[in-house]
Amino acid sequence: MISDEFRSVILKELNLDDFEINDETTADQVPGWDSLNHLNVILAIENAFKIELSSYDIIKCNNIGELYNLVQSKLEE
Amino acid sequence: MQKINELNVLWHIWEFNAGEFPNKDAIVFWKAGETPIRITYKTLLEKANKYSIALKKQGVKAGDVCAILMRHHPDFYPIYLGVVGIGALPAVLAYPNPRLHPDKFRQGIEGMSQRSGLDWILTERSLENILQPILNSKENSIRGTYYPLEFESYEDEKLQKEITLYRQSIINTNPVLLQHSSGTTGLQKPVVLSNQAIINHVVHYGNSINLTESDKVVSWLPLYHDMGLIAAFHIPLAFGITSIQIDPFEWVLAPRLLLDAITIEKATITLLPNFAFNILADKISDKELKGVSLNSMRLFINCSEPVRFQSFEKFKNKFIQYELNPDSLTASYAMAETTFAVSQSLFPNGCKTLNVDKDKFTKGIIEIVDDPAGSKTLVSSGKIISGCQVRIVDEKRNDLSENLIGEIAIKSVSMFDGYRNYPEKTSEVLEDGWYFSGDLGFVVNDELYVIGRKKDLIIVAGKNIYPEDVEDIISNIPGVIPGRVVALGEEDESLGTEIVSIIAETKIEDEKEKAKLRLDIVRKGMQNDLNISRIYLVPPRWLIKSSAGKPSRKANKERISNINQ
Repeated sequence: MISDEFRSVILKELNLDDFEINDETTADQVPGWDSLNHLNVILAIENAFKIELSSYDIIKCNNIGELYNLVQSKLEE
Repeated sequence: MQKINELNVLWHIWEFNAGEFPNKDAIVFWKAGETPIRITYKTLLEKANKYSIALKKQGVKAGDVCAILMRHHPDFYPIYLGVVGIGALPAVLAYPNPRLHPDKFRQGIEGMSQRSGLDWILTERSLENILQPILNSKENSIRGTYYPLEFESYEDEKLQKEITLYRQSIINTNPVLLQHSSGTTGLQKPVVLSNQAIINHVVHYGNSINLTESDKVVSWLPLYHDMGLIAAFHIPLAFGITSIQIDPFEWVLAPRLLLDAITIEKATITLLPNFAFNILADKISDKELKGVSLNSMRLFINCSEPVRFQSFEKFKNKFIQYELNPDSLTASYAMAETTFAVSQSLFPNGCKTLNVDKDKFTKGIIEIVDDPAGSKTLVSSGKIISGCQVRIVDEKRNDLSENLIGEIAIKSVSMFDGYRNYPEKTSEVLEDGWYFSGDLGFVVNDELYVIGRKKDLIIVAGKNIYPEDVEDIISNIPGVIPGRVVALGEEDESLGTEIVSIIAETKIEDEKEKAKLRLDIVRKGMQNDLNISRIYLVPPRWLIKSSAGKPSRKANKERISNINQ
């Protein structure tokens, strides 16, 4: 399950005060998460968790839960 | 070039290329993390012929308009050619992204069909349910849907003979494709282009960029856009060179795809809207750029939205260490109505820039200054290409002198013949062979500078958005006072493009309720494939009205800009 910190990094980047996102949520369901903002969200996650993600790995993520798992796997490296 | 002029019909040129360079790559199909699929000229034409037979078998006839609604797929290309091969007109439409509400998508297709007279939709099974209500409706011209990727029967001697005979009869004035120029929702303007218009363009634009047989074009541009369809697909194919095709949906998620494709395929030419230069410069980490080399590139062509000086500067600074030749950064001004390009920076001199007095510029006067301080730096869209003429005119279409900004009017050997089924719009923009573009610009030393649009238009990442469409959508949201909304484009310097902002009057005063309204506005925008980036909620009677009694976009943009400062 995605962490509160992970959720709040995404919400902050998209200027959303309160919006329910969970593992199954997809980017197109989140207000403001369009193709132009996508890279900003990824950069915000990379900065917050001090990691670098491969964009080819990110493309394979089908939802926010999978993106969170990718972040976790980077943190464990 | 001589052979292109001699053959003078696209199908004949493609057949010639397949015979002349059977094993040369026509299309290299790129997908992130996968081995590229290479389609040679011989294979492309053989497959196209099979699709021609299969489509004819299904009842598609010469002159029918076939909308192609498919995701990035290696068979898209032979399907497209197969349509042309029986004299039907391919019209590539945008595949719906998941945000878009199905009703909105259907509304767009219905509007297009009523105007363009779409006959068939060639698509994928995954869109069957979404498209079904359109097929049941009597309000459009669509006769049926086919799923070419599921076609099984391609052989038919009798049909093959008929098709071969038809192909021998094609002449260069025959129409070859239909593309949609921008317009408000459901009113996109259908532009039909002939063999002659496209071939003239291949010759003239090819000359302007010194196209040679060793060039390779790489593109992530969608093929429903003239820059993707004409510049990155038709021109390479007619010229007998390779077009490397990247999925637009994947590129926006992983922009390094373009750089990887350039490096591995040793591409020489790419075309990008201005915002893409910012994305490539700012949003890819150095780690991801390891191994990238741009030394094969002759031309990065900036087109489809106003060229920003800063975007080129940051791109140059970032990629000089990856063997970028700064002179390869060029610009072009183009539109569907003239097939594609009107102007292009000359190779190998790169782009010209001009410092002009800022205050006079806002009044429509060009005064060149030497000192960049307090001036505005403009980037030229290049010299007018051969086969094109340009005039700068005032409101009454009278010519203006060189130091004044006016509407750009064009005459071209690749001109469209008018919008299909839209005579009133055609007569509005075409007069005595001149096309009045609605774009504003000026010419200095034979260099064309394009600075914006005559009418309110928001250009986000190369996509044209009409403010009235946004205002209609937002006006209907509970909490917003109907009709009291203004949509405008605001410059986002970090993105190198405009963003969509709205100013909406509301009686709501409670901050929590306002936050909810903001979210409703963003959501409604998303359902209409619009990202509304800034929302200004203002009290009743805040918006300044025009003399016609409607909220004025210009005056309210100035008012909000003064408040922001």
